[in-house]
Amino acid sequence: MRRVVVLLLAVAFAASSVLGLSGCAGRQPTEEPTVEPDVSEDASALTGEDLPLPDVDDTVYVEPLSAAFENIYFDFDRYDIRSEDEPTLQGIAAWLEERDDVRVLIEGHCDERGTNEYNMALGEQRALAARRYLVGLGIDASRLRTISYGEERPVDPRSTEEAWAKNRRGHFTVSE
Amino acid sequence: MRGLSRMRRASSMALGLVLGVVVIAWPTRAPAQGVRLSIEKGFGEKVRIATPLFEGSGTGLADAPGIRDVLMFDLSNSGYFDVVENVEFVDDVERDDRTTGRIDFPEWLALGAEILVKGEFYAGLSEFSMEVTVYDLEQGRGIFARRYTSAPGEWRVAVHRLSDEIVKRLTGEDGIAQTKIAFVSNTTGTKEVYVMDYDGANRRRVTRGSQMAIYPDWFPDRTRIAYTSFIGPRQELHSVGVSSGDTERLTVFPGLNAFASVSPDGSEILMTLSKDGNPEVYRLRADGSGARRLTYGRSTESSPCWSPDGRRVAFVSDRSGRPQIYLMSSTGGTGERVTFQGYYNTSPDWSPRGDLIVYTSRTEGVFQICTVDVETNEVVRLTTGPHHKEDPSWAPDGRHVVYSMKSGGKSDLYMLDIYEMEPVKLTSGAGDYLSPAWSR
Repeated sequence: MRRVVVLLLAVAFAASSVLGLSGCAGRQPTEEPTVEPDVSEDASALTGEDLPLPDVDDTVYVEPLSAAFENIYFDFDRYDIRSEDEPTLQGIAAWLEERDDVRVLIEGHCDERGTNEYNMALGEQRALAARRYLVGLGIDASRLRTISYGEERPVDPRSTEEAWAKNRRGHFTVSE
Repeated sequence: MRGLSRMRRASSMALGLVLGVVVIAWPTRAPAQGVRLSIEKGFGEKVRIATPLFEGSGTGLADAPGIRDVLMFDLSNSGYFDVVENVEFVDDVERDDRTTGRIDFPEWLALGAEILVKGEFYAGLSEFSMEVTVYDLEQGRGIFARRYTSAPGEWRVAVHRLSDEIVKRLTGEDGIAQTKIAFVSNTTGTKEVYVMDYDGANRRRVTRGSQMAIYPDWFPDRTRIAYTSFIGPRQELHSVGVSSGDTERLTVFPGLNAFASVSPDGSEILMTLSKDGNPEVYRLRADGSGARRLTYGRSTESSPCWSPDGRRVAFVSDRSGRPQIYLMSSTGGTGERVTFQGYYNTSPDWSPRGDLIVYTSRTEGVFQICTVDVETNEVVRLTTGPHHKEDPSWAPDGRHVVYSMKSGGKSDLYMLDIYEMEPVKLTSGAGDYLSPAWSR
């Protein structure tokens, strides 16, 4: 009888995990999300493996005050770091070495040409390229996050070569 | 050879059309009424159908023209029917029928119609109901009669149900009149996910308060939509209840959490994650757990979609130097390239019929919508003109496609029949309409 009860509880726990009631899925994510595990009172009687909680980055990132954090720019349809941007990245790495409590969010952006979908991936490649470069200079990867905005956040909405060049950028924000 | 493949598709369609008619025509094989249909159609030939105004009573009497408009739209856009356009003549014959109390079959035939749809409706305060009879004019007899009801004022629901019934009974095919399209719009100032009827009516917002909500994809039971949400410094994959509006977080990996494609049975999701240092295709359970990497490589692998049998995946890779579409097993693999025309091919969606993939192709500098045959790799271009078109999505009939097109500085949604290739504009008004996903 006890075994049946344990089995039923295990099934109920598994079912509630599938329904997203366990710790991994947060509730009301449109507000500031906090991941609160739903611990049932009979936890000791349950079998099942613990799943890793998601690594939710709750850091608030702001525009950096230091002039070291200039944008870097990319050629059309490319995500390789241009030689003219290497000094900027070296300056950022140097600054980060001095302030080892600071984390950086690297944004990747594209111009409007190209499909929305592919530009989201391209933006991420640009952010990842900058991240790889900084890691190569000795910065701990865990301090560097990436996010792509694809073509969604142009700084210049015009459809000119000049505007497009400004929009193909990597932008840096820092933890408060 | 382009012509051969189209003919093969065409003859199987014609067979379906003829067979659909033949099944109904032979009483021994007919499902119920044993009604004969005298119509046989070859490929491209449509059934000519007359739709007089329904006779109405109750508070919504004035809805009769609207009801007829919706019915005509549904039937002509299905691809199977030519609706008699001259409604003045049609309504004249109908008035005579009502005066005499008899159906003047020779008069209807003289209008060029083969099928006649007659109806009466009552628009009450507690419900809308209509009784419809569909006639075979050559045979001079009814094929079927049915009563449809809906909530008060919601006669569109009843009419769409009728349209799908007519398509099913006369062709054997499933119609799309009751389907929905999810999409993204920025009319509130930020991008949110919306849903509308397939014909553009009943637009309503499903997500709220989003920084940016994009890339919607339906769960097959149509109750929830998966989408990418930007929350602070992160991208997350969420699902939202279409009726309830409640949201649930499915993934929050570092980097990309984008391009969710829900499996045909709703149990799994394909998506693009960059958590391991590069955008790659991953397969997860529908609750966001159990992420398994399917692609490996130094190039971008993205925009996955399922085959209708769930066994394969189409995705975009730029391993050749430019984005192209590849197919692989849904357990992973290197993938075989399937697009060989053009240098920029993205946004694949796999037809529910399994035979074609629709995608966006940059052709002479303009993004057009094309299909590629999964077996032969043959390409058919569906769109023309100087405006960029993106993000195609199949209707469940494997015959209609919805996409967005940017013209006059704004984007709108259009649908077309892949055999007719005549775009029908579905959205209008301020704002951009993008990233459509057709429900099952």
